[in-house]
Amino acid sequence: MKKFMNLLGKEMKELITLQLFISLLFTIFLFYFIGQMLKSEVKKAMRVQKIAVLNLDESPFSEQLIGALQGANFRVEMAKDKNKEKAIEWAKGTDVNLLLVIPEGFGQSVESLEFKEVESYSFLRSFSLVGSRSTAILNSVISAINNYLSNDFLKKKIPDISPERMKKPIGSKDFVIVKNRMAEGSAERVAGFVSGQSVFLPIILMMIIIYASQLVISAIAMEKQNKTLETLLTVPISRTSIVSAKMVASGVVGLISAVIYMFGYRFAFGGLMGRGFAQATTSGLSNVVQKLGLAMTTSNYIILGVSLFLAILCALAMATILGVLAEDFRSAQSLIMPLIFLVMIPYFLSFFSDPQTISLPARILVWAIPFSHPFLTTQNLFLENYREVFGGILYMLVFFIVLIVIAARIFSTDRVLTMKLKFRRKKVVF
Amino acid sequence: MNAVLEVEGLKKSFGNLEALKGISFNVQKGEIFALIGPNGAGKTTALRIVATLLSPSGGRVSFLGFDLKKEPEKFRQRISYLPEEAGAYKNLKGIDYLKFMANFYSNSEKETEEFIGRARNIADLGTRLNEKAGTYSKGMTRKLLLARALMTRPDLAILDEPTSGLDVINALEVREIVKRFSREGISVLLSSHNMLEIEFLSDRVGLIDKGRILDSGTSGELKQKYQAKNLEEVFRSALP
Repeated sequence: MKKFMNLLGKEMKELITLQLFISLLFTIFLFYFIGQMLKSEVKKAMRVQKIAVLNLDESPFSEQLIGALQGANFRVEMAKDKNKEKAIEWAKGTDVNLLLVIPEGFGQSVESLEFKEVESYSFLRSFSLVGSRSTAILNSVISAINNYLSNDFLKKKIPDISPERMKKPIGSKDFVIVKNRMAEGSAERVAGFVSGQSVFLPIILMMIIIYASQLVISAIAMEKQNKTLETLLTVPISRTSIVSAKMVASGVVGLISAVIYMFGYRFAFGGLMGRGFAQATTSGLSNVVQKLGLAMTTSNYIILGVSLFLAILCALAMATILGVLAEDFRSAQSLIMPLIFLVMIPYFLSFFSDPQTISLPARILVWAIPFSHPFLTTQNLFLENYREVFGGILYMLVFFIVLIVIAARIFSTDRVLTMKLKFRRKKVVF
Repeated sequence: MNAVLEVEGLKKSFGNLEALKGISFNVQKGEIFALIGPNGAGKTTALRIVATLLSPSGGRVSFLGFDLKKEPEKFRQRISYLPEEAGAYKNLKGIDYLKFMANFYSNSEKETEEFIGRARNIADLGTRLNEKAGTYSKGMTRKLLLARALMTRPDLAILDEPTSGLDVINALEVREIVKRFSREGISVLLSSHNMLEIEFLSDRVGLIDKGRILDSGTSGELKQKYQAKNLEEVFRSALP
C-alpha cells in the first residue's frame, strides 16, 4: 500500500500542474463573465419595455388598449406625427424595439365586429433570444384583450351560456400515468420538467469521461515520450499498481475539474434554467412529479452514482489501453477520438431520441457502449425498468474487469514497450 | 567464482526478427561486465531482458539463484536499471524524484534518507536538486539518474550506454562513479559501443554482433588472443 500511495502521489504531482490551475482559473473566469453577461441581458429583457404607439383612432377603446399595455409593464411613447411612414422613421431613430399602429376607426370596428387589424413593426436590432421579447409580450397582451372582448361580446349576445364553454365546447382533464401511479397534469409539462431536472447529468458525465480519459492517455504517452516508463517498469511494484495509480489519479483530477466546470456552468446558465424550476414549484407541477414518483430518492442517487462511477472506470481502462498504443503526447491526442465518439453517441441520443423505440441493431449498439447506461439510468429508474438499470451496471462491471485484465496483461508483457499504432500504416504492430 | 548473474542460451525474437540467437555470459560479484558491439547487435535487448522489461523467447537467466521467468519481482527488488536516453519526471524536483524512487526500495524513513544522502553525493548537483528536473541539462539528468540507479546499492546495476550523449567531463565523472561503486561490491552489467570507455571501465568484456556473442574475456586476454592494440582491433578481428 505504501508503494502504491508513493506512486499515486507522483501521478497526482504530475497531473496537478500550474498549467492545470491556469486552465481551471481561466474557465472559472470565462463562466463568470458569461454568467454576468447573461444576467444583464435577462435583466434588460425583464425590465420595463419601451413601445412606440401611433394612435390613428383616438377612441376610448384604443385608449383602453394603451392603458392595458402600460399595465403589462410597457412604457408607451406616443408618435406625434400621424403619418405611418413618418412614425416608422421616427421610431427607427429611438431605442424602442416595437411600434404599434392602431388604425383609424379601430374602436368602432371592435364594437361592430368588423375586425380591423392593429399593425406591429418590430425593429430587430440584435439576434439574441431576449431581443424579440417585446413582440411576445405584445402578442400576449393582444391575446388577453381579444379573450376579454370575445367573452364580453358572447355574454351580451347569449347571456345564459358561459363564453368559455362556448369557445371550448369540449373540455379536457389531463392525467399522466407512470407505471402504477397516476396524477392530474400535462404529460408534456411533466416530461419537460423531468428532463430539465437531469439536464446537467449527461454534460457532467461527458466532461468527466473525456477529461479523465485524456489525462490517463497523456500520462502513459508522456511516460513513453520522456523515457521514464522503462525505469518505472523495473522498480519493485506490481504492474497492476502502476496501471491503477494512473487511473485513480486521472479519475480524481478529472472529477475535480469536472466539478469546477459544472459549478461554472451552473453559475453561467443557472439563472436561465432556475426560473423553470421556480415556475414548476409554484404551479404545483412538483406535486404532480412527486405523485408520479419521478423525483430522485436517496436510493436512486446511490444507484445513479454507482452507474456513473462504473462508466468512468470503463473509460479509464479503455484510455489505459489506448495510451499504450500511443508513441508520444501528440499521438495520444489522436487516440482519444474513438473514446469521444463512444461518449457522444449516447450523449446526443439521450437528448434527441428514445432508446426504447430505435431499431434493434441500433439499440444493441447503444447497449454495447458502456457509457450509454448511466445516461439512461435516471429514466429507467423512474420507469421502474430495474432490469435495464442493474443489467447495465452488471455489464459495465464485467466490461471494466475484462478491460483492466487486458490492461494489466499488456503492462506485464513486452507489449507495453513494443505495441504502438502506426498512423501511416493504420495497423497495430508488435 | 561467485556468479551473481548467469545467462545461458538466451534468445529473443520480435516476430521474424531474431534479436538474440542464444547468448551466454555471467557477471561475478563486484565485477563490471560489458557487452560491446555495434548498433543493433542485441546489447540493449539483452539488458532489457535481465532488467525484466522483456521476456526471453528461450534460454535461462538466473540472478542470485532466482529464475527470471518464475520470479521477476525478486529481480526487481535487487537490481537497478539505467536505460539509454532515460529521462526524469519533468514536473518533479530532482530531490522529489530521488525520494519517489527510494520509497520503492526502503523499509523505513531512515533508510529513505540514507538512500537520498548517498544519491546527493553521487549526483553532486548541490542546490539544483531543489529545482524541477525539466530544467536540467542532459549531463545533470544523467547524473541524477545514475544516482537513482546506485543509491540503493543494488546487487546488480544494469547500465545501458551510461555516458551516452555526455560531454568529456561529465562522461569521466560518470565512469569514476561506476568504477567506485563496483569496487564497493556492486556488480555491473553495462553496454556501450565506446571501446575506450569499456577498456577503462570493465573487468570482462563480451563481444556481441548480430545477436551472438563472438568472444569474451578480459581486455588483456582478448588483446593478446587477437594480437591487437585495443578493443576496436579486437572487435574487427573477432568478426567472422
